This record gives sequence, C-alpha cells and structure tokens, in this order.
Amino acid sequence: MIDKFREKFVEEALDNVHDLEEALLLLENNKQNKEIIERIFRAMHSLKGGGAMFGFNDLSDFTHHLETVFDWVRNDKLEVSDHIISITLTAIDHIKHLLDVGDLTNDAEKIEQKVFISKVQSLISVIPTENSSKVERVIDEVINTDDGSKSYLITFEPDKDIMKNGTNLFYLIDDLNDLGNALSVPFFDPLPVFSELDPIGNYCRWQLILNTEVPVNEIKDVFIFVEDECKIDISEIVKGDITSNQYLIELVENARQSGNLIELQSLKSLVGSASSKAVEEPGLEKKKVLLKEHKISSIRVASNKVDELVTLVSELVTIQAQLNLYAEKSGEPNIMGLAENIQKLSRQLRDNAFEISLIPLQNELMRFQRLVRDLSKELGKEIDFIVEGGDIELDKNIIEHLTDPLLHIIRNSIDHGVEMPDDRIKQGKSPKGTIYFKAYYSGATVIIKVSDDGKGVDPVFIRRRAIERGLIDKNAELSDKDLFDLLFVSGFSTKDVVSDVSGRGVGMDVVKKKIGEIRGEVMLDSEVGMGTTTTLELPLTLSIIDGLLLKVAYNNYVVPISSIEKIHELNKGKISKTLNNIITIDDHQYPVIDLRDIFEEEGTFLGDEQLILVKYENKTMGLIVDQVIGEYQTVVKPLGRYLKTHQTVSGASILGDGSIAFVLDTNRLIHYNSFKRIKTK
Amino acid sequence: MSEVKTIISFVANEENFAFDAIKVRHILEFGKQTKIPNTSDYLLGVINLHGNIIPIADFRKLIGQDEPENTKDTSVIVISPDDQISSYIGFVVDMVKEVIQVNDSEIKPSIIDGHLGFIDSFEGTVKINDVFINIINLNDLIIKIEEGK
Repeated sequence: MIDKFREKFVEEALDNVHDLEEALLLLENNKQNKEIIERIFRAMHSLKGGGAMFGFNDLSDFTHHLETVFDWVRNDKLEVSDHIISITLTAIDHIKHLLDVGDLTNDAEKIEQKVFISKVQSLISVIPTENSSKVERVIDEVINTDDGSKSYLITFEPDKDIMKNGTNLFYLIDDLNDLGNALSVPFFDPLPVFSELDPIGNYCRWQLILNTEVPVNEIKDVFIFVEDECKIDISEIVKGDITSNQYLIELVENARQSGNLIELQSLKSLVGSASSKAVEEPGLEKKKVLLKEHKISSIRVASNKVDELVTLVSELVTIQAQLNLYAEKSGEPNIMGLAENIQKLSRQLRDNAFEISLIPLQNELMRFQRLVRDLSKELGKEIDFIVEGGDIELDKNIIEHLTDPLLHIIRNSIDHGVEMPDDRIKQGKSPKGTIYFKAYYSGATVIIKVSDDGKGVDPVFIRRRAIERGLIDKNAELSDKDLFDLLFVSGFSTKDVVSDVSGRGVGMDVVKKKIGEIRGEVMLDSEVGMGTTTTLELPLTLSIIDGLLLKVAYNNYVVPISSIEKIHELNKGKISKTLNNIITIDDHQYPVIDLRDIFEEEGTFLGDEQLILVKYENKTMGLIVDQVIGEYQTVVKPLGRYLKTHQTVSGASILGDGSIAFVLDTNRLIHYNSFKRIKTK
Repeated sequence: MSEVKTIISFVANEENFAFDAIKVRHILEFGKQTKIPNTSDYLLGVINLHGNIIPIADFRKLIGQDEPENTKDTSVIVISPDDQISSYIGFVVDMVKEVIQVNDSEIKPSIIDGHLGFIDSFEGTVKINDVFINIINLNDLIIKIEEGK
C-alpha cells in the first residue's frame, strides 16, 4: 500500500521538478520576477514536505537547504545570480537521482550530497553585511516562528443524520489532528427529551484551531466524503503557529466553558495583539472557501490504461466493420440501422479515446531548452532557443519516439550549425545565434521545424561526397533538394565527414529511421552561411485513421483521407507520357504516379481507373489506382519488426472480412518514387 | 551434464531441418497470403493471425530452391524469436515431421560447410535414425531477414 503512495509521490514530485526546471530557466531571463521565485519556492517546498512524508529523507533534507536559499531570495535577502541558477539546476539533477533511487545507501554518494549541501549553504553565507537592517530582519524572523505553516480556524457542524451512513466523526477529527497541531473544542447542542432522542443522531459541533504546513485543499480533503452532510468553514487565521499562544489557550477554554463558538475576528485581534508583525502581511483576509465548489477538473491515469483503452477502441472499430459487412449482406433494415448507429458511436468513441492520449509537446521542450543551455555554455557559444507552438498536442506514443531524434537535430544545430561568437561577428552576424523551434498543425499532420542561423550545409559538398560514395552518377542532374535528401541515405553521413566540412547530417539516417517508425517524414533545407532548417512531418495519431480504401491489382490499400484533395475518373489517354507522366485536369497540370508501376504489378486491370490527387509538400500529385472502394475507418496495425522500415507501406489494417489492406503513406511513397528516379538516371 | 533440447523437425527441398521447439508458436496450414509490394522474393506476404499481421517467408526460397511446389503437406511454422508479437514470423516448409528430444551431446557441428542459400550458420546437426537434421540458428536468420538482404 505504502509503495503505491510512494509511486504516486514520485510521479507528482517529477511534475514538481519539471515545473522547477521550467521556472528556473524563465528566471534566468527575468531575475526580478517575484512570481517565478514564488513558484520555485513552492515547488521546493512541496518536494521537501512530500519527501519526508514518503520516506525520502535525503531528498527532504537536501531540498530543505535549497528551499532556504529561495526563501532568502523571496524575502529580498539574496539576489538571484547566474551562479545560484546554475547550482540549482545541478541540484535538480541530483533531486531526480534521489527520486529515482530513494535514500542514498552508498557512502560515496552520501559524501557527495554533503559537499553539495555545503555548496548550497555557501550561497546564503555571503549576505551583504553592510546592510545591517536586513540582517536584523533575519534574526527577527527566526524568532518569529514563521516556519511556513499557517493556523486555521475550522468550524465543523455535521448534520443530525451524518452517522447514519457509517461516518465516524472521531476519525475525521483524528485526521485533522494528523495534519499538524490542533486544539479542538466540542460544542453540545441541547438534547431533546429522551423519548424523541435519536440514538444514532448527532448533536455535536466542533471547532478546531489547526496549525499545519499543508495547503488548505488538503484540509478540505479530510471532509471529502461528508461534505454533503455538514457545514464546514475553514478560515486562515494567521501565518505561523499560534496553538501554544497563552491568550489563545485561554480563549479556547472560555469557549469550551460557555458553549459559544469562537469567532474568527476575536482570534485575529488576539493574534494581532500578540504579534503585530503577522497582521501586517497582506492577503490575510478571511479566505472563505465553500467546500461544495470544490470540483475535480482533471484526473491522473496510468499511461498503460490509456494504451489499453485505445487498443480496445481499435478492436471495437474492427468488429464494427465486420458488423457493417454482415448487415449489408443480410439486407435487413433493422440490422442495417443498428450497424449504422454503432458506426457513429464507435467513431465518436474513437475520437474521444484519441484526444485522451494526446499530450502537449511542452513537456519535452524543457529537455531541449536545457540541452541548448548546457551544451552552448560548454562549447562557449551563445544561443537563444525560441519556441513557438509548445501547446501543440501529439499522441503520447509519438512524443515518446520523437524526443531522441529532436535532441539529435538540436544537438547538431548547436554543435555544427551555430558558429563561435567571434566567427559570427566576422561574418556580420549577431554574436548570439538563434535556434528556432516551431510546431504547428497542418491538416492531420503536425509539422515541427527546427531552424538555426548557423553556417548551413553546402550542396556542392554533398554532391561530391555522394559521387565518391557511388550513391549517384557523376553526371546526374540533381536539384539542391534532391541533394539534401541524400543526407538521409544510410551510409552517406559517416563520422569521417564531420572533420571535413560542416559535420551536418551526422546520424541523419538514424533520425529518418526513427521518425519513419512513427510514420513521419524528415526534410532538410539549408543555405550556406544562412542556416539550416530541419522539418519533421508527423501524423497526429498512430492507431486509427480515416482512410480511403482502394485497389491496385489484387491488393487493397488505404490512403489517409487527410492527405487526399480530390478523386477523378481517369481516361488513360489524357496522360502525356513524354515528361514525367503529366496529366491535365481542369486546366491544371499534375505529375502522376501509377501505383501499378510503384508496386511492380504486371498486367492491366480493366476496371474504372481513378486518379487520386494528394498533397505532397506544397504541390499536388496524382496517384493512379485501379479502383476506389470507399471511405474506411482504418485501424492501423504495425507491420512488425521485419517490415517496419518498408519503403512504400507504413502499416496494415484488417478489413471486415478478415483480409488485409496495406496503409500507404503518400509522402513516403512519392519520396520513394523520386528516389527511384534519381537512381535510374 | 548434458541438457535435453526439444526440436521440431521439418523437410524443405528434400533435406531435414529443425527449429528450437521453444521458439515455435503455431503450425498452420499453408494458405493464402496478402502479397506485400516492393519486398524480397522470399517474403510471400502477410497473414492475419488472430488479429495480428504476421509476415510469411518461404523457407525453401531462403535455402536456395527456386520454384518450390506446394502440396497438401506444405505448412507454415510461426516462430517467436523474443516473445514479442511484433517479431513473429512464419516460415513455409514442405512438411513438418516431428518433435524430438535430443541431448546437447548428440548435437555435432553442422555438416553443411559454408552457407546454404540465405542461411550461413547452423547450431549443429543431429543424426536420428540415419537422418541428418540441421538445427537452424534462428537469431542469425532473423537478423538477416530484418536487414532485408
């Protein structure tokens, strides 16, 4: 049981750490921002508190010291410096480690942590002594018992019937007591005459003065199961612990004797006379929070449950296709109506399930920001990392596969793209380089562009290299774009290229392979001296798509509807075979690809050939197919280990009758076609 | 100390081979596959096995037979190299024979010198009832197919 809580804590702590990291990076550019400092402090505070509660004692101890530093910062006793930020960032790495391993058992690590703590402590030992008033305040505050806790007045008035559903009121009081120090005062309502007395009715009310470090929400949580059956009022009295205050104890005793409820106002004035300092603080007005308003707006679900949901929905969609087929065959109107309704529902369910499995890119961006910061410092370069579109959401399985390739691309930009500040000045650029990260939706795909303003890649060099490696013929005529595509061919970019020129394209074949596994595409564009842009095109989701079912030779294929612009009847005579297979439709000329050629199918089909116009980058291309069958909700199944890098087919789907259709990725297909052309030239 | 190994023997191109029985998941009748475009000749296609897409390779083509004939004995042995459904693969063979238990000590270095078509390493050969059975080195074969050579 406790393990489960620990797990939950680690999960939440990681969120906190993540928040911390984000805030620190923000702080770096905005050192005076109170809000950010407050956010950092809060995150550390909850790490400390939670750590101690769930047995992460080293973590708690360690964050305690960090927290002190930011407490000082928060109270203007210490100024934010790059040094503080750097130490804190390294400290975060240490915190992550602690969360991973729990308490340290290894002596070497323990010593390491001690050294680290003393480093952190050294940050606060160097306060400016000339400012004596500040020092005084420090001492003053230490005496003032401001330990981050708050005192609340809780008035708890249960309904008469509350015990009828088995609630034990004493447990609630005990729970409150567990949160911190509590003084409780019971009040007894006058009892009715014995004949009318309800033996399991409640005739009591309570008031508690609770001193605790936990936020007010946690206090409310104690009452979560009984909130409909009682009146609860939780008001903050003051920051700090007042439960041992002599006046307060008197007041409580009075209330106990007289049976009159304690009033918040009298408590406040009491505290005010005891410590005038505390009352000065703003935001001390009574915070009345009605419990009924407390609604849960989001829940945390283990990711494998979401995966399971998506799998189940996929199965449902497959079965639904079978049902449709059966209904059509039977021709019975009732069943056909039902099948139609089920189709509608399953489509909605599908969309819903997918929305659930989407997560924003934002979470990963932090790692990139950190990479840019750390690596550029290490290399002595100055780089700004600008992000646009961090709120774009992607299937979590895609994001998982995306991080490594993106890290690689960004690392390439830092390492080989952006020049040293001196070189940049010589070329008339600003000494500070920029890496621009942009993500946006385009139809059913997400485009991610990573651009830098570094030295770029020289197509002339690529050409020479490709000829040397026998990838292209000496006389081949290739556009720059074709040449950049060669960077992704495995065997082109090897380590020995690095020393030679830009070193760009190292491992780009690996990037392409990884992105290909999630049915994405990578493109690279560059201008010498101006910089390089790497573009990733990714599907929104991996498992179910709206597709168009079609036939080429004896096989069924599915093309995602999102990539289709139009479908035309085709008269083969219209194609002029002279150049690149061009077809003219409605005064527009489109290059076309016959899928029979691509799939190396022989013979001709005597059906009604049709032309499907698809989007490809900025152009429209035509695909000739033997027959268009119709729209089809496609559950995409992976092709498995042996075929996942297949050149033209990116997945498969099981049709209602149990047969298999292949899912085509039109981008990949057209790419394959043009690559085939390059090779044959 | 010799360990007992269970193998499943089969015939392909009139020779006897065997897979490690632990890795065999199903034995199916040879049926229709959905042909995959743009793949090597030996990959016949994919089948729908309980809702999963499983590729089928012709073992006889792998060992160099050009035009294998299919009879009523032709079968598909579905192998799982690492228990992941994504790496299941079926091999078409002429006939599945039997499950045999052999002692490690009975397995001798392979009598096939060099390579046989696509396959260039065997775990060894056992002689049972005057028949030589070549035990296939599955990992090696799988990696080669994965590389698509």
